[in-house]
Amino acid sequence: MSPKDKGVEPTQSDLESALAGLLPPAPANFGLRVLRHVGISQQRYDAYVRLDTYAGGLYVAYSPTAVTGAALESAVARPSVFEEQHWSLTHRTAIRSDTPFPGLRQAMRTGRTRNVPVDLAPLGARQQAVLEAVRGIPKGQLRPIGWIAREAHVADDAEVITQALARNPVAVLVPCHRVTYDDGTPCDAGYPPSTGQALRAAEGIDMQRLEELSRRGAVFLGSDTTRIYCHPTCAHARRITPRHQQPFRSAYEARCAGYRACRSCRPVTV
Amino acid sequence: MDEIAEQLNERLAVDLDDGFTELVRIHATAVRGFLFRVSGSAVDADDLAQDTFLRAYTALRGYSPARRRDLRPRAWLMTIAANVWRNHVRTSVRRPVSAATIEDSAEMWPDGSPGPEERASTADDRGRLVSALTELPEKPRVAVVLRHVVGMSYGEIAEVQGCPVGTVKAQVSRGLGNLRQLLEAKDPSSKEVLK
Repeated sequence: MSPKDKGVEPTQSDLESALAGLLPPAPANFGLRVLRHVGISQQRYDAYVRLDTYAGGLYVAYSPTAVTGAALESAVARPSVFEEQHWSLTHRTAIRSDTPFPGLRQAMRTGRTRNVPVDLAPLGARQQAVLEAVRGIPKGQLRPIGWIAREAHVADDAEVITQALARNPVAVLVPCHRVTYDDGTPCDAGYPPSTGQALRAAEGIDMQRLEELSRRGAVFLGSDTTRIYCHPTCAHARRITPRHQQPFRSAYEARCAGYRACRSCRPVTV
Repeated sequence: MDEIAEQLNERLAVDLDDGFTELVRIHATAVRGFLFRVSGSAVDADDLAQDTFLRAYTALRGYSPARRRDLRPRAWLMTIAANVWRNHVRTSVRRPVSAATIEDSAEMWPDGSPGPEERASTADDRGRLVSALTELPEKPRVAVVLRHVVGMSYGEIAEVQGCPVGTVKAQVSRGLGNLRQLLEAKDPSSKEVLK
């Protein structure tokens, strides 16, 4: 074979270019139909779908029992790139499908993705612990890195944790956009800040108010009627009326003022 | 691309079921597209492509790992697809639709004529080209579709057709010539466009 024989030559006629445009796209689940027809066990491969999120399209791959990977369209550009990336991460082939994992569509719509089973087994133990802790952050709330470290029982090292977040193999479903640095600014490791902003805005997190709080140095909000302090995005903190709000710079300051930590958002007390 | 191809052969050799899922991922669209353009019907293409992969899997199970590693998957799959299609044409000629029961005729569309979705679009240039393609004789049709629709090299097509490279080049060029004639006959005004 000469090198010229490799592909279609640049000087091609209109008829040839018209023919080149005739390769028809296959139906979305065609590959799955072939594999079922041949009788390959479903355990041997993953299916994937494309879902819409507030930060653009999201490819989600899943085995019969759990979600095994997800990537934003803005990060992978094309379905074929997602398929290759999925294989290099999990060593499983991802085949296009048109039916998402049971319950996934509803979980995406409500933002409550915690009950969707996610398979993090190919990752190291520490990264797995960090991502499991991130999954524990409720919708519409933010948590600092120190909180993640405590929940995951790993050393409070911002660099190690942001690295684990940046390599999150299940984007959006493990909500890394809900993690902030200890001063309250969002981490957004692994994707551009605009993506994180869009996801947080969709959950109704008022970033302007939080920025104002962190400018004043307030990390926690207490209520002078209950004498309990919370993370500012905790559901209990959000319903403190402005005249009873008591900002604190640290857990130590709150404790000295005679406040105890909220048992729902569990601020780090040391 | 070469790296992916090597990886595919390696996976086929090590673990057939795992490698086969990758084979389907990479080549299913091209195999179905080839069968769609030679048969002119989406329903036929779906069935024939599924048949092609079933045959491929059965054959691969009998191959030794060394043989699976040396396979050239695309040319090999297209060879099977072309055979499956030829068999399909032969059986539909032998068992014409009028002689078949009602259940059979629902499963088997008369071959050669464009399917409903193709016919609906024959109004435009693309549709004219598609239906002209289904009027070509068998061998040039396969050669033209493999070369210009799927985009395979002459060497690969020669492997599929089981003939020398020169013969394939002649088939393709004669096929293109016939296509031009067919298109002019259908619409004399297109003469200037498709030179």
